[in-house]
Amino acid sequence: MIEIKGCVGCSLCMLVCKFNAIRVFGEAKIDEEKCVKCMRCVDYCPVDAVNIA
Amino acid sequence: MRVAVIGSGIGGLLSANLLAESGYYVEVYEKLPFIGGRFTSINYKGYEVSTGALHMIPHGNRGPLGKLLKRLNANVEIVDSKPEGEIYYNGERVKLKKSLFPRKTLFKFYINVLLSKINDKSLLEFSKSIDEFSSKFLRSFLGWSFSIFPEDISFSKIIPIYKQILTYRGPGIPIGGCKAIINALKENIESFDGKILIKTRVKALKPGEQIRIFSNHVKDYDIVVSDIGRKLTYKLLGMEYESEVESRGIKYTIALNESFIEHTGVLFILGKNIAGMNEVTNADPNLGKRVMLQVHQPMRGDVKAEIEIGLREIREILKGYKYEIISIQSYYNDWPVNRVKTGLDIGNKTQFPNLVIVGDGAKGEDIEVDGIALGVMKALEGFI
Ligand SMILES: Cc1cc2nc3c(=O)[nH]c(=O)nc-3n(C[C@H](O)[C@H](O)[C@H](O)COP(=O)(O)OP(=O)(O)OC[C@H]3O[C@@H](n4cnc5c(N)ncnc54)[C@H](O)[C@@H]3O)c2cc1C
Ligand code: SF4
Ligand code: SF4
Repeated sequence: MIEIKGCVGCSLCMLVCKFNAIRVFGEAKIDEEKCVKCMRCVDYCPVDAVNIA
Repeated sequence: MRVAVIGSGIGGLLSANLLAESGYYVEVYEKLPFIGGRFTSINYKGYEVSTGALHMIPHGNRGPLGKLLKRLNANVEIVDSKPEGEIYYNGERVKLKKSLFPRKTLFKFYINVLLSKINDKSLLEFSKSIDEFSSKFLRSFLGWSFSIFPEDISFSKIIPIYKQILTYRGPGIPIGGCKAIINALKENIESFDGKILIKTRVKALKPGEQIRIFSNHVKDYDIVVSDIGRKLTYKLLGMEYESEVESRGIKYTIALNESFIEHTGVLFILGKNIAGMNEVTNADPNLGKRVMLQVHQPMRGDVKAEIEIGLREIREILKGYKYEIISIQSYYNDWPVNRVKTGLDIGNKTQFPNLVIVGDGAKGEDIEVDGIALGVMKALEGFI
């Protein structure tokens, strides 16, 4: 389950995702097929917007 | 004496360095896996994409931050922008100089400086009373420098900043970008046995003779310096604080095969939503594998709609150039351009004598990180 809530679109998650799974245009969208749930984006998000379970 | 600094942004690290140098035992708490907050960069596709700032120091070497870094013996080199600024208007480019502005407008400006003490007005009112070119420049300048609009600020608030510009002049670019400054401060802090703890979030604060910090551990400190603004600090105290109004913006990082700006200064864009751009790779080629152009747009409407406008304007301005958008970054709420809009800062103190606020939620009267440097010195006045 991937949930994004309260995202401001700062793109830090996109900059650190090693699997090119994130696109940001005002807010982040994660491509679940590319995502390996490494949790890097969760750690780097400055506003705690990403939830991956 | 033990000090905790909440947040490893530039405000937090400047404070930590000053306090550690003065003999305090300092611990910096940072919730994220990296230090520097909105004033560092992440290498992405060969470009040092900044987490926030446009890799520029408003007054270069000469301003409050430049001076403070020298005082701290921080190992950084800042290159002054040459020219300081240029203006892009109706497809033409001209170097920024005083003689571009009609005498009548300059006269009005000086009169308003004199009158502002007795009859202050909003900058919007002033901007409507002058010629179109100057009015558009004012808007672009405010958008680039503070990510605000003329209606956001009163005339009197701009005067001290105008004086700082007259004294310290225009911008500079740190070699290595914002991150180089952050690394130099880290090195200093650690040389005084200060500690910087990453991935260590402060979850709550309990005020008192000593302030208790609840984090991965619970620990008491004589002084706490908070770099996260008033709203978030009060939240940690379990108190309400709603009146913080942030400035919002969008930053585009763009790769080019050949240089568009061709110098190290700011290109102010007039008459558009985007306010300006710079090309910091002209000062430090290591900041990007090709030319790195950064564009800034102040924002107050819908984010996606604003980005669409911005991209359209960029396409128009860069017509004939081959370029690639590396990243689009928007900033608001708790990750803004400034936690408090320039002109609305209310100082560094809190109701607790051993808890002070630094960073762009409590700037001094100057632009961006130069304002932060002034705020830090004010906040720590009684302690060092
Ligand atoms: C698009 C953009 C362009 C800009 N351009 C420029 C420029 O060219 N020049 C310039 O001078 N300024 C510029 N600025 C402004 C400048 O980047 C910021 O004012 C400055 O970086 C803010 O620093 P700070 O120390 O106040 O806060 P921050 O950098 O936000 O630092 C606060 C830190 O606290 C951490 N934190 C938050 N909560 C907690 C907690 N509970 N526990 C532990 N840690 C916590 C955060 O993770 C963060 O690292 C720009 C800003 C933006 C967004
Ligand atoms: S969890 Fe890892 S792989 Fe998935 S989007 Fe986040 S950073 Fe990318
Ligand atoms: S890091 Fe967080 S706020 Fe920034 S774009 Fe990603 S999800 Fe949104």
